[in-house]
Amino acid sequence: MANHRADEKRFLDDRGNSGPLAPNGLNPATIMEKPVVDRIIDCYFWKDQCFGVNEADIVSRVVDQVHFIGGTYGDSQKPSPFLCLAFKLLQLAPSDDILREYLDFGGEKFKYLRALACFYIRMTRQAKDVYRFLEPFLPDSRKLKQKRRTGTTLTYMDQFVDDLLTKDRVCATTLYKMPKREILEDLEVLEPRVSALGDIEDLLDGEDVQEVDPDAAREDDSDVEMSNREPADEREDERSPERASS
Amino acid sequence: MASKKGAYETTASDTDFRKKYDREEYAQRAKEREAKEREENKARYEAKLAGKKYYKPLTGDETLTQARASRLDVSQNVGKVTLMPAGAATGKRGRGAGFYCADCDLTFKDNLQWVEHENSMQHLRAIGQTGEVKRATADDVHERILQIWERLEEEKKQDVKTLGERLEVRKEEEDREREERRQKRLAVAERKRLEKEAELKVKQEYGEDVRVEGEHDEDDMMAMMGMKGFGSSKK
Repeated sequence: MANHRADEKRFLDDRGNSGPLAPNGLNPATIMEKPVVDRIIDCYFWKDQCFGVNEADIVSRVVDQVHFIGGTYGDSQKPSPFLCLAFKLLQLAPSDDILREYLDFGGEKFKYLRALACFYIRMTRQAKDVYRFLEPFLPDSRKLKQKRRTGTTLTYMDQFVDDLLTKDRVCATTLYKMPKREILEDLEVLEPRVSALGDIEDLLDGEDVQEVDPDAAREDDSDVEMSNREPADEREDERSPERASS
Repeated sequence: MASKKGAYETTASDTDFRKKYDREEYAQRAKEREAKEREENKARYEAKLAGKKYYKPLTGDETLTQARASRLDVSQNVGKVTLMPAGAATGKRGRGAGFYCADCDLTFKDNLQWVEHENSMQHLRAIGQTGEVKRATADDVHERILQIWERLEEEKKQDVKTLGERLEVRKEEEDREREERRQKRLAVAERKRLEKEAELKVKQEYGEDVRVEGEHDEDDMMAMMGMKGFGSSKK
């Protein structure tokens, strides 16, 4: 297959699927929900900016047009450029090499490009690859703007990646059920993860020391950040059933 | 009748001024066109029998489709007045008020219709595109990222904010301007010097013997004083 189709008609044609499946065995045309897909292909951004786009043009579009992550936003549930481009990626089905470029070389420079590639990988790759691809970005603490139906909130890259790994609904898309990391570790598919904070046993032992000596805790910025962020995660969880119903 | 020649002894008839058509050539052309039409009609008929839609076959000169480089900018038309013929506003066919597509000869009333038309196969065929997009490799992606990054860096360099930086940029500009003015002045002085030398040379070449007494005295005096003549700047 040398070329892509410029439009999505053949991709969304459901009279028998001829296209290749995603590496995790799902049909890329049905990974996003039907109402969301309908909204995407109806919106002006899709028709104007996602027509005739290839893997390299995706980068230009992300840099110029994507200024926040999110699924559908506003009362009219307008699909975000982020979601439109994620859908375009589902159509283009870029290879792992290209995704590496998005994540590493491009991701260092453009944070929304990395966020987009992470989201795409979570939707299409097998569980072990998802963990391998996404976990290196857990120490990435750049800010991301996120738009919801209710308004705009601030989030971080590591929190977004963590959401992708642990939650079942992100950016108006129900993500497929991944086996937990511990199970994959027990099956010896994955190596145990080394946290950026160090060994978890040491941390638990050192808790008393931190209380006594606050300077030691302040030395490690990410440590402070993680402890600050835990309540935010809980708030997210409270909100998620409401989002799931939307 | 002795001869077909007229009174002027020529064979020209009354209607000889009319254009002469090469009947054979036109007959040949008509035959070719009819054959082509017959073929197309046959293809149409066969497609219909098979229950398919007929599409004109590709010529092979089509180019690949590319992503839009710019967004539709209607603000540049603010304040512009365009005259339209009175009957132009009916339907999409032909030129009318709105977005006009010259390739398909259609007019659209809003940007959504317009962009849908631009994406349609009808339009892509009319402008000779296949509706297919080239697949990019990882190297292409790498190159594109680098290109965008360099462009942004360049923009950042021009967009300075603090007073100190702005003063620095301004100083550089002024220095450059001053240097330019200096060069210009030097060039003018140089030209003048050359002109003067040339004049002296001419004067010497005259030689004393050729000179008529008193003829060039005035010119010499004026040249010495830096004047070239009265009234006209021409020499």
